[in-house]
Amino acid sequence: MEYIVETKHLTKKFGKEEAVSNLEMKIPKGEIYGFLGPNGAGKTTTIRMLLGLMRPTSGSVQLFGKDMKNNRIDILKNIGSLVENPSYYPHLTAKENLEASRKILNVPKKRIDEVLQQVRLHGVANKKVKGFSLGMKQRLGIAAAMLHQPELLILDEPTNGLDPSGIIEMRQLIQSLPEEYGMTVLISSHLLSEIDQMATRVGVVSKGKMIFQDSIETMRKFAQASIQVKVNDNEAAWRSLLANGQKADLEKESVTLQAEDDGQVAASIRYLVQQGFSIYRVQEEKRSLENIFLEMTKEEQSG
Amino acid sequence: MVSVINSEWYKLRKSKVIFLLFVAPLIGLFIGLSGSFNAIGAMNEWYEKLVVMNSTYAILFLPLISGVLASVICRYEHQEGGWKQLLALPVTRGKVFLSKYLLLILLMLAMQLMYLVSIYLVGMIEGITDPFPMDIVWKSIFGGWVATLPLIALQLWVSIAFKSFAAPFAINVIFTLPTILVINSERFGPYYPWGQPFLMMNIGGSTEDVFFVPWDQILTVVGGSFLLFFIGGYLYFLKKAI
Ligand SMILES: Nc1ncnc2c1ncn2[C@@H]1O[C@H](COP(=O)(O)OP(=O)(O)O)[C@@H](O)[C@H]1O
Ligand SMILES: [Mg+2]
Repeated sequence: MEYIVETKHLTKKFGKEEAVSNLEMKIPKGEIYGFLGPNGAGKTTTIRMLLGLMRPTSGSVQLFGKDMKNNRIDILKNIGSLVENPSYYPHLTAKENLEASRKILNVPKKRIDEVLQQVRLHGVANKKVKGFSLGMKQRLGIAAAMLHQPELLILDEPTNGLDPSGIIEMRQLIQSLPEEYGMTVLISSHLLSEIDQMATRVGVVSKGKMIFQDSIETMRKFAQASIQVKVNDNEAAWRSLLANGQKADLEKESVTLQAEDDGQVAASIRYLVQQGFSIYRVQEEKRSLENIFLEMTKEEQSG
Repeated sequence: MVSVINSEWYKLRKSKVIFLLFVAPLIGLFIGLSGSFNAIGAMNEWYEKLVVMNSTYAILFLPLISGVLASVICRYEHQEGGWKQLLALPVTRGKVFLSKYLLLILLMLAMQLMYLVSIYLVGMIEGITDPFPMDIVWKSIFGGWVATLPLIALQLWVSIAFKSFAAPFAINVIFTLPTILVINSERFGPYYPWGQPFLMMNIGGSTEDVFFVPWDQILTVVGGSFLLFFIGGYLYFLKKAI
């Protein structure tokens, strides 16, 4: 497969602490890759290394199939980025901020109006950025990142500080990019709900390690509902289900049915009743993606 | 490269700090107008003005203003994450460093030229009738500029390293103030980089050379400190983690 981003054994140490540890990130072309992890997990550090702002302690970064070490300028021509808090020059207006970057990027002047339009800042184009709200600064940062129509857009927590309507706008904008411009997007967040609504692939990082990396569908499968049955003798009920060829797990105070549809649930319950078990409760437990994410990162932290 | 300098100049000219460039030539102008020292009894009235104006300008304002400008040119990068935005653009760090440095020395050259205008104005206002000693003034203007090149390199280095505005300024002041004492020392004066702007603008210096300071002093003290500060700052910037 062709990867736009591929890191190998990427590691960054600050003193003794490993902020990023043997990270193998793989982002195929045209995906919206959600880079998910709690605060301090190492997302920003990883992104800094992807952009060549910081050198890895060991390991390598390949973008567009080229090694970052030797092709930095070539690679950066095709990347737009927004790292951590939005960057801007307070003494300049929105337009002037973009103009300062445009001079270096060497793109036509009309791009400035286009991107300002895209992030809906055209109304305040000539206002000093100093007075902007955080959300406006954030949007200006995205506009700057898109100025040269890069193939890869790297956005580090871009919805931080946005109000709900701003988040929705941002989401719509980001989701349109792969289709309209063939862009690949890397977006980091500590909020699963955000990633869940935009991403097509997910990488979960915790304590500097990549603990999950796959399509969002695969991640969602973990989140399917399970049926818990509380019986007078859970262990005997569980054995009897297994003996009957029905899938179930024994929990501390219940039996969890691994049923794929309603029919199977009904069959299992009927069977248990026929076997003379007293059924106290049947309840559905929906594991939210949020729970899964919490569990994933918790395991990593206690381990 | 040109585009990077362009961008730097764009950011700088949009800030009002650029008016700093006028401060030193204006102060020079006032000093020139207020003082009337006939003690020197020079053959050309211009010389008196030059001696008086040059000393304050070269000892204090030239080094101080150049340092402040170096901080200014890095300040808007330090302020709100400008470094990471700038350095994630397709531009090498070497070019960024060089662009900032080149812009700084061009600005200082502009300031020197404005100072030249100040000198001339003083003479006009005071009605000096002696011929304008162009060759001497040129030596002084251009020599003073050359002497600030290493100081600017150091200030750029320090300004990149420290996020705060105060630290580079403090360093600047700490090295600049002793100049007043050091230049009077036969032994240390010629070797003190911060004393060089004065020595090279001091029209009373030796006149056989192209500048008012012997060539070997320029090469070793100015050239040496320039290489040290410029290469040090350059390498520091290449390696700095953003
Ligand atoms: N420049 C630095 N020096 C020392 N430690 C750092 C530095 N930058 C980040 N860290 C540490 O590395 C870890 C990862 O930080 P970061 O990449 O910012 O996480 P995230 O972006 O996922 O919140 C944290 O423990 C943080 O304290
Ligand atoms: Mg972060």
